[in-house]
Amino acid sequence: MSLRDSAIVAYAETKVMKKSDRDVWVLAGEILEALLDKTGFDKAEIDGLAMSGLTGTGGASMFWAQSTCDMLGLEVGFCEQVHTGGCSAVGAVARAAAAIDAGMCEVALCLYADTHVREHNGRNDRNYRRDWTDPYGLLGPPGAFGLLQRAYDAKFGVDLHALGKLAVTQRNHALMNELACEELRVPITVEDYLNSRMIADPIRLLDCVMLADGAAGLIVTSRKRAKEKGLKSVIPIGYAERTNFLGGENLVDVTRSGHEIAGTKALKTAGLTVKDVRSFHPYDDFLIALVIQFEAFGFCEPGQGMAFVRDTDLSYKGTLPLNTGGGQISAGQAACSSHNLIEAVRQLMGEAGERQVRDTTNALVTGIGWINYGRNWGTSAALALVPGE
Amino acid sequence: MAITLHDTLDVKRDIKHYDFGLPFWDGTRQKKLMIQYCKVAKKFQHFPRPVSIFTGRRRDIEWREVSGKGTIFSFTIAHRGPPAFQGKEPYAVASVTLDVGVNLIAGVVNCAAEDLTIGMKVKPYWQPLDNGEHLLFWQPDRDAA
Repeated sequence: MSLRDSAIVAYAETKVMKKSDRDVWVLAGEILEALLDKTGFDKAEIDGLAMSGLTGTGGASMFWAQSTCDMLGLEVGFCEQVHTGGCSAVGAVARAAAAIDAGMCEVALCLYADTHVREHNGRNDRNYRRDWTDPYGLLGPPGAFGLLQRAYDAKFGVDLHALGKLAVTQRNHALMNELACEELRVPITVEDYLNSRMIADPIRLLDCVMLADGAAGLIVTSRKRAKEKGLKSVIPIGYAERTNFLGGENLVDVTRSGHEIAGTKALKTAGLTVKDVRSFHPYDDFLIALVIQFEAFGFCEPGQGMAFVRDTDLSYKGTLPLNTGGGQISAGQAACSSHNLIEAVRQLMGEAGERQVRDTTNALVTGIGWINYGRNWGTSAALALVPGE
Repeated sequence: MAITLHDTLDVKRDIKHYDFGLPFWDGTRQKKLMIQYCKVAKKFQHFPRPVSIFTGRRRDIEWREVSGKGTIFSFTIAHRGPPAFQGKEPYAVASVTLDVGVNLIAGVVNCAAEDLTIGMKVKPYWQPLDNGEHLLFWQPDRDAA
């Protein structure tokens, strides 16, 4: 019994919209409908819901997942609202698989629906910010990543052309992704990156994700059930997460993150080494986070991330395809930040069309969740996927 | 990049405190920088917590006044601020490593953009708040060796 006894048997995704023209539950309903059609499951067979709590539309509700069951007419034995920030997408898969493994449900819907641009219902965060950073006008994630990127620069050096290459590589992928946000499907150059306006120096506009609306979802069931139904599948063979890495220490190296631990554990469980990874779908809220993850997972040594980017073909046909749907930075930060996960599943099912990667032996997806005080991020997650038989 | 840094001293602030952090704010009334200290680990910690982050115990915490001298660990220049800060940009916010081994984030005043560097020595600048407390900012410590 383990996570790998479960299988992702279908994915669905709406187009990413700069601002949704319809209600968040309409989008959720479209995802449910698409997943039922794809799998042939009857609605009554869905007995689990794992929903991302990373939602501006629903996040202030303590009853978001239950309300959604009610709206969609779902009766479930496992109802979960995942609260690990940007790790909630992969976290929902792991929790659904664990629930299936524990006998709490058999067919789980992982649902990522959010319209935080159209309807943001506020947030009730209770954390350090009101006393310790809000009084100084430190602008949320861009401010925090401004501090982080300058600290990285002081320690290892930032190559703006390498960051520009990441921006262009992901943008080129979004150009091939008809579900990416239309406003972002415009070609860019490294010069465009360099010339984009400063938001939180050294963070430029093209370093950042843009909030957008949309929904996505997955059906997770037992591998046995997937086989019985003859469904195409993707298997979660390794997962780990780490919250509050080095949280019991004061002065920490901000270029290190919990991905050191989560990555090692997820890959070990999967029986893989980082050299085996065939496509990489890391959480991208800011470009520097990609560089730090290359280092944390061991694609290169600490401090060599910029050189690794310069020396590696990260396009969908390259040696290490990176966020082949455009990543969040070029597709839009929609659907509870599930974009990179959905893309990895699509790739392993061989359904990525003109941006299909050649080698679908496996894929590695990551999460980054929440911003801590003067460090990097609160939760780090890693999910290794392989195609089912 | 020739930019002129602004300060955010006159932004209206209504800061809500957690009760376990009140000794910090009470200290600011006399322009004293009070930082939590774990008697068991013999280390400081910031921001204030309800327990020692080293031992997990509330009883291990005490408060100590520190000099407030430190060096800039990192900084960012906000070119776009939250609503209350709009119109003040660009302004700098720095994470400073105090000589007692904690990082403390605050705004920067009295410093030209070209002088602002990692490793720069800083000291406190206390801006009065309406309630008698002061808000800590960083300013260059030009007397520091």
